[in-house]
Amino acid sequence: MSEKPLPEITPLNKPFWDAAARHELLVQRCKRCGRFVWYPRGSCPYCGSRDLEWVKPRETGTIYAVTVVRVVVGNSPAWEKEMPYAVAIVDMDDGFRIYGRVLGAKPEEVRPGMRVRVDFEDISTGVAVPVFRPLP
Amino acid sequence: MSLDVAIVGLGETPYSRARADKGEIVMSAEQYAAWATSLALEEAGLSLRDMDGQGLAVAGTEWPHSEIWSAEVVQNLGFRPKLLLRGDFGGNNAVELAVQAAAAIRSGLVDYVLVLGADSPMTPFGTQTARSWRYDIDYMRPFGLMGFVTLAGLMMNRHMSAYGTKVEHFGKIAVTQREHARLNPGAYVKAPLTMEDYLKSRVLSDPLRLLDSVMFVNGGIAFLMTGREKASRASKQPVYLRGYGLAHNYVEGDPAMPDVTTTGVKAAARDALQMAGATPADLDFLQLYDDFTGAVLMQIEDIGFCAKGDGGKFLDRTDISYKGELPVNTGGGLLSNGQPGMAAGLVHVAEAVRQLRGEASGRQVSGAKLGLVSGLGGLAYGNNLANSGALVLGVM
Ligand SMILES: [Zn+2]
Repeated sequence: MSEKPLPEITPLNKPFWDAAARHELLVQRCKRCGRFVWYPRGSCPYCGSRDLEWVKPRETGTIYAVTVVRVVVGNSPAWEKEMPYAVAIVDMDDGFRIYGRVLGAKPEEVRPGMRVRVDFEDISTGVAVPVFRPLP
Repeated sequence: MSLDVAIVGLGETPYSRARADKGEIVMSAEQYAAWATSLALEEAGLSLRDMDGQGLAVAGTEWPHSEIWSAEVVQNLGFRPKLLLRGDFGGNNAVELAVQAAAAIRSGLVDYVLVLGADSPMTPFGTQTARSWRYDIDYMRPFGLMGFVTLAGLMMNRHMSAYGTKVEHFGKIAVTQREHARLNPGAYVKAPLTMEDYLKSRVLSDPLRLLDSVMFVNGGIAFLMTGREKASRASKQPVYLRGYGLAHNYVEGDPAMPDVTTTGVKAAARDALQMAGATPADLDFLQLYDDFTGAVLMQIEDIGFCAKGDGGKFLDRTDISYKGELPVNTGGGLLSNGQPGMAAGLVHVAEAVRQLRGEASGRQVSGAKLGLVSGLGGLAYGNNLANSGALVLGVM
């Protein structure tokens, strides 16, 4: 029985994974330019400041693009039993972009422009990842 | 215009999926590197020892996963170069290394640089799964993404939803390139392909089909670059580097939420054409990096043949075959040759050189004098590909 792939926890990304395990979304925000930063970085990719803080962003966003994943390529076979499923690029209301599965709707019915909210899915004991659910 | 650096030797091995049961060649990357190198040097009339104190620019590999690959390659081949470059640019390896080689030749550091790509993702263990990059390991695989396949599906979905592009537009690219492959003695995939076959092919990640995407092959390609004076004495017709452009981490629009349908080739091709003193209309053909069909359509827009989003309509009215108004990927491209791992970009340089020498028998673009080769490598997070480049190559 194969398992879903686990991230490698590093000093950089530990705050995100600790919060995710509690089903809370934490991302970085630059204290100099105020922009939200996803994925975790050592410095702000917009202004170069190393002064980044971990904050809770608004948990809503809009789907920018979507695909229905139908085969395992370069990932764990554990995903196969959940296929097909939708994966989207989500543009969050606080101005950052993140990838995630969209659950709670038929994969073929997920569309760009759809409003979504962050939820979490446990992929292993003590490890959870963000997923998205359509807003009513 | 800049005519001071040229390609004077080309070596390209056959491609193989290493299916011994089908009588295919089974070789590893070291053997392909040796094979492509000797073909290129032989064509240029140079011996191994003529390369002492010169330059070698070698692409990285899917296999082996070596941290000191360039140091291995020089020892394997018996090269004693002054300049040693290694490409870490994925599908942009050929363009990047050609630009670095040209800079080294122009600076006077060396007279010759051999640009070499050889890879065996299928050998010895079957399809290799490379150790991936950080954001794939941490924020893509655990999130349910399938790397290239998912990202290509997302980019194509965006192009369709934003601009009304249809799957048949992507299909036309796959079908035309297969027609070219069938005319290219060196191409790997020769089976006929109709639009109906394309539409029936398996969907991997909507709308990306199997026939929209590349498959790995083993193979090796090398090309020898030198300055004008030595080029003029070459036995083969020199193919000159007329212009080039590179762009990394290119962003179209909001840097946090960029347009994923625009490639960095927009900036790279603009710079390359400007250096060459040319416009898109002057180009006799395009060899566009084609890890998926959607990338070809996006680059046609980005180079300036039509507005962003109009690529589908442009394909409806334009023949992109070798005898059409805008010949694209005249040897079949990677979609029909396969992707020889990290050497893939060199496939496009090889086809451009053959077209410009008039050696593309069966698929020769009539009167080809000027062409563009692009490269795209490194799947970005939330954007198009990260490394992009363009070469404008020409003959007098
Ligand atoms: Zn900042």
